[in-house]
Amino acid sequence: MTWESLTRRARPGLVLAIALSLAAVAYIAWKIGESPSQALQVTINGLNVGAVYALLALGFTLVYSTVWFFDLYYGAAAAMGAYGVFYLRSGQAADQAYDPGNSLLNIVFGVVIAGVAAWALHTAFYERFRPRYGRTLLRTVGAALAAAAGLYGALILWLPDHLHLTTAPLVTAFSGVIVGLTAYWLLRRFRGEAANRRTAAARMSAVIGLAAGGAAGLFVALRPEASLYLSWVVSCLLAGCVGLALYRGLYVLILLRARSTLIMLVATLGVLLTVSALIVIIFTSTTHALPESLGSQPIAVGGATFKAFAVFTVGCAFTGFFLLWLLLYRTSLGKVIRAIGDDEQVARVVGINTTAVIAIVFFIGAVYAAFAGILTGQDLAIQPRMGLELLLKGWIASVVGGIGGLYGAIVGGFLLGLVEQFGIWDISGEWQDAVSLLLLVIFLAFWPKGIIPRT
Amino acid sequence: MRITSPGDGVQLSRAPQFLLASLRGRLEVWVAVLVILTAAGFMLSRGVGFSIGLMTLFTLWGMLAISLNLVLGYTGLLSVGHIGFYGIGAYTVAVLTTNPRREFLGDEVIQIFAWPFFAALPVAVLLTGVIALFVGLVFSRFRDDLYVLASFGFAIISLNVFVNWQWVTRGPFGIHEIPKPAIGGFVFNDDLEFLALALFFLAVVAIIAWLIVTSSFGRVLKAVREDEDAVEVFGYRASHYKLAVWVISAMMAALAGAVFASYTSFVDPHSFILLESIILVAIVILGGLASIPGALLGALSFVLLEEGIRFIPLLPPEHVGQARQIILGVLLILLMLFRPQGVAGRFKL
Repeated sequence: MTWESLTRRARPGLVLAIALSLAAVAYIAWKIGESPSQALQVTINGLNVGAVYALLALGFTLVYSTVWFFDLYYGAAAAMGAYGVFYLRSGQAADQAYDPGNSLLNIVFGVVIAGVAAWALHTAFYERFRPRYGRTLLRTVGAALAAAAGLYGALILWLPDHLHLTTAPLVTAFSGVIVGLTAYWLLRRFRGEAANRRTAAARMSAVIGLAAGGAAGLFVALRPEASLYLSWVVSCLLAGCVGLALYRGLYVLILLRARSTLIMLVATLGVLLTVSALIVIIFTSTTHALPESLGSQPIAVGGATFKAFAVFTVGCAFTGFFLLWLLLYRTSLGKVIRAIGDDEQVARVVGINTTAVIAIVFFIGAVYAAFAGILTGQDLAIQPRMGLELLLKGWIASVVGGIGGLYGAIVGGFLLGLVEQFGIWDISGEWQDAVSLLLLVIFLAFWPKGIIPRT
Repeated sequence: MRITSPGDGVQLSRAPQFLLASLRGRLEVWVAVLVILTAAGFMLSRGVGFSIGLMTLFTLWGMLAISLNLVLGYTGLLSVGHIGFYGIGAYTVAVLTTNPRREFLGDEVIQIFAWPFFAALPVAVLLTGVIALFVGLVFSRFRDDLYVLASFGFAIISLNVFVNWQWVTRGPFGIHEIPKPAIGGFVFNDDLEFLALALFFLAVVAIIAWLIVTSSFGRVLKAVREDEDAVEVFGYRASHYKLAVWVISAMMAALAGAVFASYTSFVDPHSFILLESIILVAIVILGGLASIPGALLGALSFVLLEEGIRFIPLLPPEHVGQARQIILGVLLILLMLFRPQGVAGRFKL
């Protein structure tokens, strides 16, 4: 790019953006010169906060780049994740001051799980098995299975103190399927594609999967101390199920006649209002700490101290990024998701069940949000407002990084965290939100495509 | 000679049905009648003092709803930031009219204005206009989702300023003892007098809004809403029109804020949280997009909802706010499902 092409395009925005970045770099350099150890501390804090923002932005960007409307339930999912852990683990609180046990809530979630199970069974098997078994049999069996899934989900919620026992079958199934599929993939990859080899690989991987699943289930069932992590999983899955149910049960209906993305935005705003009010009603509006703190032993590096949990958080952000990258760029489902993001109509025309795929996307997005909410809750505290706050931060991070792109999301998340922490170095911490929103407005005004624009 | 046709008598007897048929498709009329009747019944049953309070709240929300409807309904820009301008208006009046007693800041008496309300009012409105001009210079380049996001940003930044700029706003303590408006020795001390003043301001806002939307300027706004690119092709700078309506609308919101400040005689950041702004959006969409009577209808319904919800049996008093929030949320979802233009609206989002 020559100087002429830069000046001919005459973009004062670009000039201002460059000037602002230079000013920011100069400020940071000055601060580092002033007190290197404190600068290190601020950087570590920024990375810790930024990791959560990056996770939020990843899930948000996945949903947004598929359906191209803002889903504000996303914020509610973050709060639901954190409050789910609070609900499941409140039996472990030292003072037992608060017991949120609530039969109505368990039943509602049981119904949601049953609905999601019914949807999943229908989508996966109905058309395939209908010619062979007929409608009635399939519907009866499907309804029975879905009801069983709902009852199982409600059972898990009803016995939060025995999470390691109640979730053992879930762990068995999950790890069995995942290990089995991985084994199958590896065996086929390294032992060839011939038909007889394929059957042998399937048989062998089934055995491996069963063994691994059984071992994992047994391992979990014998360890009550695993309950905390299991409560994370259950909480994420619940938020994901609600996200899926909302898309399939509500958003699809609105999308049928929606004229613009603003309609979806307002409708999901209604969802956010409702869910956050329900959270206040069930858990009161006071700030709670999650019952068990985790990794709170301090680590000191070069004059800066941070909790061990911070390392875990940053690791989670990168793992989340890697998993999403694998999903989007290394699986056929990812290819389909990207195709829907490019053009949903065309995707439908070529025979993709777009509704089902988008429902899965909503599930994954809500799981990411819930996990980010849990990390925030474990690190700091939980309060009903956190949903909206985390939603905004995820939103800003994805816009700053470049909306709709995976790389942009993680870069934007960490950048937002760092800018926020450096921004409040000299002024009081209450200005944190203002700093991040100022960053957003600057980016929207001068750099609306973000740091790494979606290609 | 008169020719009688067999249909004559039949037609006559069907007259009431024709009347009904002409009203059948008009949900807004039915809802308006229902809401006004409910309001009248409610006020009659609760007494005069309550009615005056209800009406004053209605004028405040009505001004805000009309101001947001100019931006959201007529121009198609979903702004969640109007509560910021409302707050700036309220705080400007509060700072300018009070006799500052800075107990909590020690001996630092920072400024003593003690202006009369009617001197502070134009300053508040103009100051908000200038701020809105600068904010709008950035905002008028966005559309749709990004506009929403940016306006979210504005709402939160302004709330942050109200809370943290304690030197001026006294932070979470708020500003107390804001005097009532006075003009030439006459003080609007009585609630009824104040209501008359508020109604006067509401009328001013409504008339200005009506003049705007019926003018050629208003027609360009509607065209921007329908197709911004087409408007540019016809030689209008869409961003200039968006900027202009944003500033006007912000000034109206500031006027409402000024009236609010002197009505409650107490301002603190809690009145300007993001939730209030979302509620305002809900009011405008509920009442009807691109309709001034619709905005008033939405404001009246909301005030009724807010006051009436306290009288729902079996509802614990600490959950009143949440019940209101749930009702609004569900209403928003239902409206988006079945009637995206709102009750009396002429524009679907």
